[in-house]
Amino acid sequence: MLSKSQARLFFVGATAGFSGVFLWLTVDTIRQVPERSNQDEMTAEVVAGKEIWEVNNCMGCHTLLGEGAYYAPELTKAYDRRGEAWLRIFLRDPQAMYPGRRKMVQYDFTEDEISEVIAFLKWIGKIDTNGFPAEPDMRPKAQAAPASTAPTSTASTATTIAVPTMFSTVCISCHALDGKGGVVGPALDGVSTRYSEAELRAWLADPQSVKPGTAMPNLSLSDADLDSLTTFLMAK
Amino acid sequence: MLRYHSWKVAWTFFATCMLLLTLQIVYGFIMGFAHMGFDGLHEWIPFNTARATHTNLLVVWLLSGFMGSAYYIIPDETEQEIWSLPLAWIQWGSLVVVSVTAVIGFHFNWWEGRKFLEIPRPLDYLVVVNVLSFLLNIGMTLFKAKRTTTTALTLMVGLTAAALLYLPGMITFDSQVVDSYFRWWVVHLWVEGVWELVMGAILSYLLIKLSGVDREVVEKWLYVIVGLTFLSGILGTGHHYYWIGAPEYWLMVGGAFSALEPLAFLGMALYCVTMARRGERQHDNRIALYWSVGCGIMSFVGAGFLGFAHTLPQVNIWTHGTLVTAMHGHLSFWGAYAMLIFAMIAFALPEMTGRKLYKGWMPEWAFWLSNIGMVSMTGAFAVAGITQVYLERRVGMDFLDVQEAVSVHFLGLVLAASLFTIGIGLYIWNFLKYGVLANASVRTDSAPTAASQPAK
Repeated sequence: MLSKSQARLFFVGATAGFSGVFLWLTVDTIRQVPERSNQDEMTAEVVAGKEIWEVNNCMGCHTLLGEGAYYAPELTKAYDRRGEAWLRIFLRDPQAMYPGRRKMVQYDFTEDEISEVIAFLKWIGKIDTNGFPAEPDMRPKAQAAPASTAPTSTASTATTIAVPTMFSTVCISCHALDGKGGVVGPALDGVSTRYSEAELRAWLADPQSVKPGTAMPNLSLSDADLDSLTTFLMAK
Repeated sequence: MLRYHSWKVAWTFFATCMLLLTLQIVYGFIMGFAHMGFDGLHEWIPFNTARATHTNLLVVWLLSGFMGSAYYIIPDETEQEIWSLPLAWIQWGSLVVVSVTAVIGFHFNWWEGRKFLEIPRPLDYLVVVNVLSFLLNIGMTLFKAKRTTTTALTLMVGLTAAALLYLPGMITFDSQVVDSYFRWWVVHLWVEGVWELVMGAILSYLLIKLSGVDREVVEKWLYVIVGLTFLSGILGTGHHYYWIGAPEYWLMVGGAFSALEPLAFLGMALYCVTMARRGERQHDNRIALYWSVGCGIMSFVGAGFLGFAHTLPQVNIWTHGTLVTAMHGHLSFWGAYAMLIFAMIAFALPEMTGRKLYKGWMPEWAFWLSNIGMVSMTGAFAVAGITQVYLERRVGMDFLDVQEAVSVHFLGLVLAASLFTIGIGLYIWNFLKYGVLANASVRTDSAPTAASQPAK
């Protein structure tokens, strides 16, 4: 039968042995991290972004690399998923984007601070995370289930005009087109039959002046973006 | 009648536990309602404030419970007073000041923003000074003692290691990856390492007192269990390194060793049940035995079994960073650590007050309602978490749409939490009604087993 001194030896031995292995693996990990995380791309802007991330306790709602709280979205691939334009508009006024839904604190970041947060998220997105977060593997099955109507029709109308990046990253998160996109605002199919080009342009430039109290945020779009978006929408 | 002046310090720490736990529950409700969409407090207590307050209050009240237990157990085991009573009082006061300051700071965006270690850096230094003075006090007591026991030494080693492991969390790194790597040295090696050492020591003490099993037998198995804890827990840290940018071998190392972690908890559960059954000299305090054996069993279910449920890399890649983690987190902290402190308080209070109130509807209902409530809360998190994993992670639905789909389970969570709160309310009511040391004097005659050590 096991004696007390043998039990003590087991405890001390296991602790010392596995602590040693753990330290050895730690040394190796620290050696490999710079390459796996593209440390040479970790600019001062990225580090400043991390600082902003920490002083505002973003992890108190979001997860990053899967770590944090579960009240707000996972942000490891936020840069890839949303693009810079969307992130910038969202961070200027987080509550404007999804009116009436779960709220993010309005931090009143400066444009430079927003750039730093975006740089940080962009850097995070390139870390070799061993495949996290995984691509949704059941999406094809879930979508293939009902008898789908001819999928070729989606490309028919807009072949002549390329989809502006602003549309495919920002507008689409609230509005749908050809059955794809968000449900916060109305679908945009046939929007050109309801409004003139001038009306659309005025609306996009400052929604509040057209319809006070609207949930549509002022996106502070540049003239170039206003041009490309109205041209694109008039073809719908 | 108190046998030692030190026990007054212990009692004060236990009372602090009750107060901080109450606050922790309030912030839990704020978050539960926010998940349902009732976020009326958003302007004053946004979710990240509620979250940091909830988890940090937990850490502080558990530490407070560990310290109170040490101020109770060490004098009893060594049969003498704590080395310095004034230092003990200062240490209690400063712990309260630091934690209250930290919690208030969280409401004004003053924090470090690193999960579980949100306390801002200037306060970190005060925590270190605080813990060092605590360790000095306990260490000097053991050093000067004529009688030291394995249980007392294990407790001391566990508390010292916990203090040392706080330090890697205070180093600043520019890289998020390295930052995260060393943050887990604190968080993981605390709760799945040295805190289990403290847990093993406190449970051993309680089982020796409650069941009358021979000390040599209890302490031998204590070594085996804490040995298993470190055997699996140290490299088990790897389950936090799967996806943070650390090398791929952590998938294998972390997966294999964290799969062994339930063994230590199973050992703890079997140890409690066996020792409780074997005792020849049963103590009348059945409630303390309920909590002790319950702690062993629930720590296995919450930390061991539910931890294993999502620790393997092929599962964790889907569940990591979802409400599934909250499911495991709640039952493991409840089972392993909250119930442990409750066991300790349930044992110590009648000894301190001299009122031998070992039975009654209040403490029994407190035990059952809080446990049924917590198990149901875990169930609500599980249903919400698993739904989230499938809809968001596997089918690819939008985060907010999924959150709205699972919000109904938070109604279940809040209802279960209400049951839990009634149980905790009864425990605290019992504490206030029968546990207050009104005019308690310290016995001046010698304690039965310490003829040579009259209280000072």
